[in-house]
Amino acid sequence: MTFVNDHLQNFAYNNLPAFCVGLAPTYDAPSEGGAKLMRIPARKIRGHPDWALALLEAGLDAGIDFAYSYEIESWDEISVPLHFLMPDGDVPIVTVYTNCAAPPLPTPRRCREVGAFVGQFIRTRPGRERVALLGTGGLSHWVGTPETGRINPDFDQRVLDYVTRGDLEPLIRLTHDEIEREGGNGGQEIRNWIALLGAIPGWKGEVLAYEPVAEWITGCATVWVHP
Amino acid sequence: MIKTSYGLNKILTAIARQHLMKDGLTDAEMTGHELSDAERAALRSGDLGKLYELGANPYLIRRVFRRRFTI
Repeated sequence: MTFVNDHLQNFAYNNLPAFCVGLAPTYDAPSEGGAKLMRIPARKIRGHPDWALALLEAGLDAGIDFAYSYEIESWDEISVPLHFLMPDGDVPIVTVYTNCAAPPLPTPRRCREVGAFVGQFIRTRPGRERVALLGTGGLSHWVGTPETGRINPDFDQRVLDYVTRGDLEPLIRLTHDEIEREGGNGGQEIRNWIALLGAIPGWKGEVLAYEPVAEWITGCATVWVHP
Repeated sequence: MIKTSYGLNKILTAIARQHLMKDGLTDAEMTGHELSDAERAALRSGDLGKLYELGANPYLIRRVFRRRFTI
């Protein structure tokens, strides 16, 4: 179950869902073209349309008005983490795409609510399923703005401190403008982290790595969240 | 309030989806698009700051005018 975001490769300004469930049968992770850019092998990962459809329908019943898509062009948001986390590529994935790139964006508070719904959905599934949650995006980065290349390790550390404590309240109080100022337009992607943390209330993050990577113009962290 | 120009984002999306990178757009490429004079001038010269100020999405600016960025 992945909380990810589009970079306007799927959703353009004629139709921009706040939250979109992927019903695609497969995802490029990455595509042939993406493989050249990312320098990781091209491959396809299976989606899980039945699971995703159940999530979509349950969401609509519960007042979470997801959009949905049967065909998603996936980029690094899925390819890069799964290249490392799932080298065999043998587990089907479900995606929730949150609008983090084309403002106005859903609030961090709403992202937590959507995440909480997803968590509840998983816990009430029949049978014995093992579900891994993955959130990607952020931390601070400025992409295409006049401040392109800036990274703000102070902002990143603040976010990581909250995640380490499992303290979502300060994160959901962040406004769009605060995130934009301190974390850049790319920092808006912490919405995926917030949704993931919303799904597993009380769990805490363990920071495995953090590095402000100048070449990637991004503050990069890997966090394992567990009970 | 975020400033957004639908005209700028529409033409930049169309170019990005063709996987094209530009230093600036020609008048021919802008034909038929609803753009202000200031938007046309910024697209023509590939003025990154001006495009941002006029309401182009920065991810699209980055994709289309990638070569103009120093980092």
